[in-house]
Amino acid sequence: MELQRSLADFAANDVAVFAISYDGIDVLASFAEKHGIGFPLLSDEDSHAIRALGLLNDRLEELHAFYGVTTRDDMHGVAHAGTFALDAQGIVTDKRFLGSYRVRETGAAVLERSFGARGSVRGPEARAQGPGVAVRAYLDEAHYRFFQRLWLTVDLQIETGLHVYGRPIPDGYVPLSIDVEPVDGLVVGDREGPAPQPFRMDRLDEAFVVYSGTATFALPLTFTKRAGDLVVRASVRYQACSATDCLIPTTLQLELPLSQINHVDAEI
Amino acid sequence: MPPALFPTIDFTDIGPRVGERFPDVALPDQRGELVDLHAARGERRALVVFYRSARW
Repeated sequence: MELQRSLADFAANDVAVFAISYDGIDVLASFAEKHGIGFPLLSDEDSHAIRALGLLNDRLEELHAFYGVTTRDDMHGVAHAGTFALDAQGIVTDKRFLGSYRVRETGAAVLERSFGARGSVRGPEARAQGPGVAVRAYLDEAHYRFFQRLWLTVDLQIETGLHVYGRPIPDGYVPLSIDVEPVDGLVVGDREGPAPQPFRMDRLDEAFVVYSGTATFALPLTFTKRAGDLVVRASVRYQACSATDCLIPTTLQLELPLSQINHVDAEI
Repeated sequence: MPPALFPTIDFTDIGPRVGERFPDVALPDQRGELVDLHAARGERRALVVFYRSARW
């Protein structure tokens, strides 16, 4: 997750960071020294807390079989890999577990998606302007590695008095779509974002749902191959309309360059 | 459906749920000092990360 890189950003947002694993204290001490870790690495050597929390990874064999990895005896006792976000009262407000220890988000992504803040660690950003809509797109990080998950965030600024259509939509209209050009090994997950709001057009019997004002969407990109340095090419297609008129349907292209890194010192 | 490139598990009910208070946890840190998670965060929000291992 390269958490240490984002530690100052978490601190600036008043978020304390803790990491828990089944490693012994001596393992954690040398790890912390080697990597300059500035947050608590808690040792749950007998996996007692991990078990009590219900987070013991009892599907390790299954996951390892999937990846063709042999499970050693000393691998038992590991936790499922993921993060909890706690509010100031200690209540869990978000939980990010990706189902596979291989797939990892970045610290910057967790800061933004769990705590609603953007920090100093940022990826490439691109902007485009079309009829009635300004688009800004960015990635969490400027690099990816094998089984990295990066979020592609797309901000739409829709001019006052205009809207763009969501789905479902009657035939003949253009809904908002955000697509990523295929890259070998790149898996694009479901788009997250606000729900479109009902909108009724004068003199028309058809029902529409629309976005207006500012709308921020995000798509999870998981890189399952080492595809080298590459460019994430996103396209945003939409048609902006007012209550009475429509502007021409438009596709905006945004290019976000990413470099591949091969070596990651540590999963945390 | 394309073949899955990585397994997925539904984590909704695995571990503490959203909306619940995170349970009390007290464990030694890398210096061997006992850390009570809620006491250590004080009034701050917190990120609690579970990971596989610092060793493998």
